[in-house]
Amino acid sequence: MNPYSEIVQEHYRHPRNFGALEKPDIRHELANPLCGDRVRIEVALADDGRVRAARFQGDLCSIAKAAASLLTELIVGRTLDALPDEQQLVDALRTELKPSRRKCALLPLDALRAGADAFTRR
Amino acid sequence: MSHETFDLLGRLRSSGRRAAMATLVRTIGTTPRKEGSKMFVGDDGAIFGSVTIGGCVDARVIEEAAGVLASNDPQLFQLDLGDEDAWELGLTCGGSVEVLVEPLSAALLEQYATAERAWNEGRSVALVTMLDSGERLLVDGSLPSALQGVELPRQSRTIAVDERSAYVEILQPPARLLIFGAGALAMPLVTFANELGFRTIVIDPRERFASRERFPRAGEIRVGIATEIASQIGMNASTSVVLVAHDVKIDLPVLKLALATDAPYIGLLGSRRRGAAIRQMLREENVDEAQLQRIRTPIGLDIGGETVAEIALSIVSEVVAVMRGRNGGPMSAR
Repeated sequence: MNPYSEIVQEHYRHPRNFGALEKPDIRHELANPLCGDRVRIEVALADDGRVRAARFQGDLCSIAKAAASLLTELIVGRTLDALPDEQQLVDALRTELKPSRRKCALLPLDALRAGADAFTRR
Repeated sequence: MSHETFDLLGRLRSSGRRAAMATLVRTIGTTPRKEGSKMFVGDDGAIFGSVTIGGCVDARVIEEAAGVLASNDPQLFQLDLGDEDAWELGLTCGGSVEVLVEPLSAALLEQYATAERAWNEGRSVALVTMLDSGERLLVDGSLPSALQGVELPRQSRTIAVDERSAYVEILQPPARLLIFGAGALAMPLVTFANELGFRTIVIDPRERFASRERFPRAGEIRVGIATEIASQIGMNASTSVVLVAHDVKIDLPVLKLALATDAPYIGLLGSRRRGAAIRQMLREENVDEAQLQRIRTPIGLDIGGETVAEIALSIVSEVVAVMRGRNGGPMSAR
């Protein structure tokens, strides 16, 4: 029996927005130092500061890849101060996560936040 | 073979002693080593390398080296390879070899240093020695005018150039071993592979694992997204790929990349069941059956390896066997 929701399975097998942007405004890479999940999030902003496009790349387990895929869909049209929070992302995965896998699910969001922070400090 | 030559020359350079270099330039019949084997004999009697695997021929070359060092003149010797031993064993004859023994002059050391620089940059270079005069030419890229129209061999050997004999020493850059996964198994893998002359490259997303402390002798350590690194490095007919991460997020995309190249060896750590599951996932990504059969999993030769060092030995042994076109069975069963 597959422990993951259909939405996780779907986004893992057919990830959305997997790849790179030509000229991203935000680009941040983050890794889990022990399990080796590594993600790079890229975001392009429109003139009004809203996310115009987002992409991700990386070596990712099923949960992390599904979360990155979902996240890049969720943020399009949002401003950087209105990014989804952790619970919103976990809820969107519709899967009960053990604490150890919660870190996997949140890695893409952590990368996005770190990149957004660096961008706004510029 | 090139790394052996450069290692030996490096040791001699650092010793600062005069030495003679003996090179096996031609073989006839059955011989234990092939053209390009080298032995260096120092003026203090120190010996590095061998042109055969010991015995009378090496002893004779050592004796001749003393004369060459005294006269400073190169000499070409033809030597029968253990006819006495062959006769005692009831065989008709051994092979014979030609060995060039020459003083290792500053000019010769400089030519090898130039060749080593090109070799380190990944280029295959050739040193062409006219056996009658000792004149030597370095070929790095296009042929010099003196060799126009000559077809150089792929392996070191003696060829005819304008009715003269020329020994062509081919110095090929080291084969590369890409090791995906910087866990405990990768450590002895690097050690063994280095000793065999591979340029080892360790790749892992985790800085804490892919560190210089853990891999002091790795040729290169790369931390990042495995597929990106694999694409940057590039894989070709002189690249062997070993996947020991035991992690599908690395194994699957890297295998897909590796199978699209002509990498001669692609090994995947894991059970037969795991290997079948990963093959199935690749099949679903439209990788064709012939390509899937190139994946060697479970990885390594069956030597009963239990410790990480033993498993690493079985893996590098399989890599060598594949590169040499052998199946890795016992010599006694050939």
